[in-house]
Amino acid sequence: MTNSDPASTAAEPAGTPLDGDAANALRRAGEAEFRYLFMNHPHPMWVYDLKTLAFLEVNDAAIEHYGYSRDEFLHLRISDIRPPEDMTALRRHMASQRVGLQKSGHWRHRLKDGRLIDVEITSHSIRFAGRAAIVVSAQDISDRLKAEDEIYRLNAELERRVEERTAQLEAANRDLEAFSYSVSHDLRAPLRSVSGFAQVLLEDYAAALPPEAQRYLLRMQDGARRMGQLIDDLLAFSRLGRQPLVLRAISPTAIARQALDMLEAEQRNRRITITIDGMPDCQADPALLLQVYVNLLANALKFTRTRDAAEIHIGWRAEATADGAERPVYFVRDNGVGFDPRYADKLFGVFQRLHAASEYEGTGVGLATVQRIIQRHGGTIWAAAQPDKGAVFSFTLGQGEMDA
Amino acid sequence: MLEHEVEILLVEDNPDDEELTLRVLRKHHLANHIQVVRDGAEALDFIFGHGAFAARDVQRAPRVVLLDLKLPKIDGIDVLRQMRADERTSTYPVVVMTSSKEERDIIETYKLGINSYIVKPVDFDQFAEAVRQVGFYWLLLNQPPIQ
Repeated sequence: MTNSDPASTAAEPAGTPLDGDAANALRRAGEAEFRYLFMNHPHPMWVYDLKTLAFLEVNDAAIEHYGYSRDEFLHLRISDIRPPEDMTALRRHMASQRVGLQKSGHWRHRLKDGRLIDVEITSHSIRFAGRAAIVVSAQDISDRLKAEDEIYRLNAELERRVEERTAQLEAANRDLEAFSYSVSHDLRAPLRSVSGFAQVLLEDYAAALPPEAQRYLLRMQDGARRMGQLIDDLLAFSRLGRQPLVLRAISPTAIARQALDMLEAEQRNRRITITIDGMPDCQADPALLLQVYVNLLANALKFTRTRDAAEIHIGWRAEATADGAERPVYFVRDNGVGFDPRYADKLFGVFQRLHAASEYEGTGVGLATVQRIIQRHGGTIWAAAQPDKGAVFSFTLGQGEMDA
Repeated sequence: MLEHEVEILLVEDNPDDEELTLRVLRKHHLANHIQVVRDGAEALDFIFGHGAFAARDVQRAPRVVLLDLKLPKIDGIDVLRQMRADERTSTYPVVVMTSSKEERDIIETYKLGINSYIVKPVDFDQFAEAVRQVGFYWLLLNQPPIQ
């Protein structure tokens, strides 16, 4: 703290009998030391007369901080550094002054230049120069309050913005739901009219219609059927984002087998070698993972259709992650017609197709659905292929739900 | 046609669906006693014997009510709710026939005690088959509650 003389004097062993002069000298030395501490205390401090409220002593920090000289201070009363509107509170506070230590809390003080500052006041009742007095320590908390206000304001602003965004999202979600509800109800009925009345023509007026007209009617029905399928697929796709995931520990091997069973019709009368590896269990929504395998395997079966001997491999491999751990990568590989890797980024887009509808049927929703499911599981999916050299679709599954 | 002879109440606002449904029922001789209403309010009038249907005996249930859900004025679910809330009509057999596969519709209508829920296929052959089966089942096979 300090190397001044009074400090060393104060270190005199306690309880040593001293004569009167020595005791007075020591008391004076002690007073000097405490005066020194008061004067050099880093927070503004002062002593005021409890009766007259006049300043009796102020320290350097007070002089520095408030802008008054010592002399000016000693001609002021503590009420002089309060804004007028705080006088009632000050009087009430003075009336309730207690003896001893008191935390008087938050007050406003006026500096000599007129600026108001916020202070936190701690005080203690003392006797000073024979008078009842209060020693006060004032801490300027203006900056802290300003920072707190700013934090509070920013928090409130953030909260308001989150509320606003949430409301917007909820409204968008409601719109989307109303939209898909309406699509689901209203978009199919006209298709049934197209398909139905084409059928009526074919049944009731077949004799009057040349073969070519009948063929056109069949194509109309076919178009209506395709659009119906498209609407169903799109609705299922949009529902994917809304229904909650039910994660369980499941075996991808069992799920893949189930998917192959469901695709029995696509395997009939074909030479297909299907290899299924034993795969490690994963955390996934069983119904959705089944959808993933059904879509990937339906594609594999579809695009190997021209092969004399189709080969499909459902497997996995361990892949090192950035943090040194290992994670399983699941894949479905086929020896089908593949695709041009230049268009790989288009694969997973809704309605994106890399093959002519006349060659390979489909609505272009299957892989978009797969990707949406994988993303909701916190995983990723990617594809590699060469034209006419087969394709391999690989995916990972995350630990839990991520926002799609 | 006399009101008390009604065997099928078809609640359908889409004239195309109405015509196609009637065509299939007619083809299978199931359309002799059918009443078509075209919105929810008219459906309630029939069910509770109001307005144009004041002469109808509410106690005599049709063999089946084919109910679309999205209807003008009062929607199908409200029609169903009111029908189920009234003791005289609470046991009317109801088959929802709608274009929607929306899960909430399916759950809500089942909770209101429907007897079947059919999603009208887009493809006409499938649609015709669905209508035929529903007609045969409810008019010929099913034993209604004692009248």
